Amino acid sequence: MGHLTHDEFFTKLADIFTTRRTKAHGAVFLTQKRLSHNQPTPSNPPSSASPPPSSDPLADLHPAQPLPLLIRATNGKGKDDRAAKIKLSTVVEPDALEAFYARYAEVCKAGMTALKPRDRTKRKAKAKKRKGGAAAATAA
Amino acid sequence: MPYYAKSEDWLHQSSLLLQARPSTTRITTRYHLKPARRVPKPRKSTDADATTTTPAAPPKQQPTQTETDTKPPRGHLVLKTYDAHSGVTLKYKTSKAAEVTRLVQMLGTLGRGMAGLAASTTTTAEVVVGGGEDEVMVDVSGAGGGAGGGEGSGVQTPVGGAGAGGKEQQQQQQLPQQGGGGGGKKKKKGKK
Repeated sequence: MGHLTHDEFFTKLADIFTTRRTKAHGAVFLTQKRLSHNQPTPSNPPSSASPPPSSDPLADLHPAQPLPLLIRATNGKGKDDRAAKIKLSTVVEPDALEAFYARYAEVCKAGMTALKPRDRTKRKAKAKKRKGGAAAATAA
Repeated sequence: MPYYAKSEDWLHQSSLLLQARPSTTRITTRYHLKPARRVPKPRKSTDADATTTTPAAPPKQQPTQTETDTKPPRGHLVLKTYDAHSGVTLKYKTSKAAEVTRLVQMLGTLGRGMAGLAASTTTTAEVVVGGGEDEVMVDVSGAGGGAGGGEGSGVQTPVGGAGAGGKEQQQQQQLPQQGGGGGGKKKKKGKK
């Protein structure tokens, strides 16, 4: 599955959130990891040569150049509902991280509407607490 | 597989894990909806009114009780950092919409470390986080604005984001403590 551009990714991610809103349950999964597809990792060592074990596990700690990130999103459908599964993925280059996360935050904030909004009642309760019984009587 | 009570702790531990294993660690954000809970009944309404004045927790529960039948299902957000190589899992769970922007900023901070950029950014973020609990929101939004990614928070802060953020922190602290009416004062004392 090919990677999407950022614009496509955000559009489709917003779609996922929208469909999630119309249903009463379900989940959206967002994953980010380093894109290290063709690079040896400790769990996936190069098969040809057996590198010295001391240097290889630490090789990824200091990459010669910044690596891109792989961002994935799915709508949480598993094996039993494969047809309805939506998988999105995009690659973020290191220099585009800031812009990407700014938009990412907006899309997430706009999409996660079922979270608890900022609690206004608490402030009232505190004011009530300060003023004492009089305010409590009016509020109750 | 710990759940951290504070997102800052999660960020700190996750950044450490990322420093240790940058290429096998992934961060998964799960946003899921649960059908609204069946609340048996608003029990003892007079009692609830009476307790409203004293502790800080009941006022928070009261609206959910009364509005559950009309309200859409509640969403939850779980951040999970998982290192596939060692099996370490770090989690943070929240249901507050006010935190989303900040959490995605954290994802961005961690993403920088993940990409192999700028351990410096990560460390500054940690310093900011360690600076003071109440000022975290202000500082983070400032840092995000400086980095060019603070658009969302910049929108938020003028609405009194600092004060509300402080409240939110306070609420987070009160939950484990189960502190009663004196929660606000305790918070101020505990601040370092």
